[in-house]
Amino acid sequence: MTHSKQGLSRRGFVAGAIAAGPVLATLPNATIVRAQGKTILNARLQRDITVLDPGYMVGGTEIAVQYAVMPRLAHVVNESGTFTWAPSEYMAALSQDDPTHISFELKTGFMWTNGYGEFTAEDVKYSLDRMLVSDWKDKWLALDRVELSGPYSGTIVLKHPSPAIWLTTITAGAGNLVCKAATEDAGGQYTTEIPATCGPYVIAEWTPKQRLVFTRNPDWPGPMPDFDEVRYILVDDDTAAELAYEAGEVDITRVAVSSLPRYTQNPPPDTNVTVAGHLQYAWLGMNTEHPKLQNEKVRQAIQHAVDVDSIIQAAYFDNAPRSFGIVPPGVFGSRSQASFGYDPAKARELMAESGVSGLELELKTLNQQARIVSAQIIQANLADIGIATKIIPLDSGPFWSLGRESKGDEWMDAQIWIMRFGGALDPLDYFQWFTSEQVGNWNWERWTSEEFDEIYQKLATETDDARRLEMISRLQEIMDESAGYVWLQHEPEAFIHRSSLNPVIVPTGEYDFRRFTAA
Amino acid sequence: MTDRFEPAGESAFSEDRKPAATLRMVLRTPQGVIGVTIVAVFLLSALFAPAIAPYDPFQINIPDRLQAPSLNHLLGTDQLGRDTFSRILYGGRIAVQLAGIAVGLSLAIGLVLGMIAGYGPRWFDNLMLLLFDTIRSFPTIVMAMAVVSLTGPSLEMVMAIFVINAVPGFGRIARTQTLALRNTEFILAEHSLGASTALILRRHIMPNVVGPLLILAAMDVPVVITVEAGLSFLGLGVLPPTPSWGSLLNEGFRILRDTPWPVIAGGLPLIITTLGFTFLGESLRDVFDPKLRKEP
Repeated sequence: MTHSKQGLSRRGFVAGAIAAGPVLATLPNATIVRAQGKTILNARLQRDITVLDPGYMVGGTEIAVQYAVMPRLAHVVNESGTFTWAPSEYMAALSQDDPTHISFELKTGFMWTNGYGEFTAEDVKYSLDRMLVSDWKDKWLALDRVELSGPYSGTIVLKHPSPAIWLTTITAGAGNLVCKAATEDAGGQYTTEIPATCGPYVIAEWTPKQRLVFTRNPDWPGPMPDFDEVRYILVDDDTAAELAYEAGEVDITRVAVSSLPRYTQNPPPDTNVTVAGHLQYAWLGMNTEHPKLQNEKVRQAIQHAVDVDSIIQAAYFDNAPRSFGIVPPGVFGSRSQASFGYDPAKARELMAESGVSGLELELKTLNQQARIVSAQIIQANLADIGIATKIIPLDSGPFWSLGRESKGDEWMDAQIWIMRFGGALDPLDYFQWFTSEQVGNWNWERWTSEEFDEIYQKLATETDDARRLEMISRLQEIMDESAGYVWLQHEPEAFIHRSSLNPVIVPTGEYDFRRFTAA
Repeated sequence: MTDRFEPAGESAFSEDRKPAATLRMVLRTPQGVIGVTIVAVFLLSALFAPAIAPYDPFQINIPDRLQAPSLNHLLGTDQLGRDTFSRILYGGRIAVQLAGIAVGLSLAIGLVLGMIAGYGPRWFDNLMLLLFDTIRSFPTIVMAMAVVSLTGPSLEMVMAIFVINAVPGFGRIARTQTLALRNTEFILAEHSLGASTALILRRHIMPNVVGPLLILAAMDVPVVITVEAGLSFLGLGVLPPTPSWGSLLNEGFRILRDTPWPVIAGGLPLIITTLGFTFLGESLRDVFDPKLRKEP
């Protein structure tokens, strides 16, 4: 057997690879690449798009796509730690003239793609009118009509004052605007192909289950985005996404809360951590109508028995702010104190007062690691006050049907559960699920309060901040008094990204690619 | 009627196949020694877990969470600060309980159904074959996932699913062995002497059929343990906070990038026990079926 002296021998290859290793290791792993003179951003897409029509979308990833390619009246900005709104780049003027009138004037020269002409006030009217009959009509409940005063100007008329409409609707996914002519040509609604876009980016390519690529819109007259191309790459799993980031495959990704300490304390080279918001709210819910939990003292005992700090420490690695009610930190009306807290002695006292002993409960939760860990701490806490708890992990289908009367009879057996909802930037958004009307739908705790319903209705139209704050505080007190809740935590929307990237991520977790900048 | 005709050497439990003799034969090979040792350690550690475990496996101790192995915690601690070594030992009890009951029940049911199918009327044989083949057409894990998704996770459900899936395997072997024996001279002689079917099955067929089933049982023990581990890994097995090797692996997998110890600690006993039972099963097969014995 002879070895050729020509070409690459096995030994030569190994030696070469060893020599090349240190050289390659010194290269940056950042993938904000400049190829053929283009700047390219690779971002992780958590879920593939399904419906891009603002009226019929699922939300989340679809909203990020809409933000990149569609117009809207206003966007969210963070001013000194408080979220508020600002007119978008399409607007010459936008203002709330009085509690029920919002006037707008569009800039000229913003053109729809595919030859559909200029973006006009007619498109705004068409977009908002169709929202009233869409799947997202609840977001526009306050809308009465849109009156046009010219080709580029008009007034949004509300049925009643709605201070929440700015942060929950106009700046959110339901506030994205469509092209009237193109949408009508598409039959009134569409799914994954937007018939006409009008943004700094256009969708150049969508490969289902793989990626979506944005490129610059050559006809865009507004401020140019920093990146020539954005590749939105699908990676479903958080751990896989973290590995993809570390391998340089993506420049920005959402990370699991359990990974935050690792990235905060020991970040990969050239990496920053950004927390966009804490708009999720989690609680231990109790069915106040269940025979085992009808005794209010038992429920109050549970409120005092749960060691929330341990849950945050063990399940969320100290990376989720403690919850004192459903309004998260950063949102108007958020509390820093609840009317109950961890006090096992008081919990035992309340149990003794209740006269209940040998209580056995079923704790149902989504089959996810953080929830299971939380459930085990709750189980141990309740055991301390004499309540035996059986943890029942459920898949999302059975879990989300648990308290809903329309889904069967499971609600009758529901006892206690760990629940998490997400909300928008206005406190009104958070209370809507807990009214008497929602019993059997999303108010699984099944308590009712006329006072709560009344204040909630008033809050929707109240514009005075001091009075709103008073109302929001009272609503949260009523929820505490129902003894149907133990407030747990507000899970963060956390991201890791190259330090050479300044991302703009709305607090609900969606990217706003057009405002991303490269340092 | 005690002086029945029984040819020497035909029964699995004849003189040279008694348990002590069988064990001696198993221990003649290194594979057998390793298998028996591992299985013995597995059984003893599970049996005496309460005495051996240094900590309460359910005791939550948040400040000590995610510790690496040390003298205080031989295999470290989990996300709730519970001692992993203690949880492994108690997880072994779950594995023993599951394997013992599930495999034992499968063997017993399969043996009875298989013998009746092989010795009974033709229609019953056909019915059993149809039933066995139908059940075996469902992959165990897929069936388990479907059933557990509907009924909710529990150890009892895992056992029931395994029994349903394993009975056809035992039943088919018992049937084949019974068919081979039913027309042998000693069975025909018993029959002509007026022995009842039940007596023939119990006294003459069963002892000859049970040997191959024991081999299959030994081979099935690691299968049932890994099925449980697989289901628990998917969150469909035992309920928390009960420790099982699969649930330990599941918990460890979620925090693998923070600490590898829970996965290592949960995976090793699974691998070693599977290996032990496989070695034991192969050694038993060599004893009961010398034709398959590997020549040194």
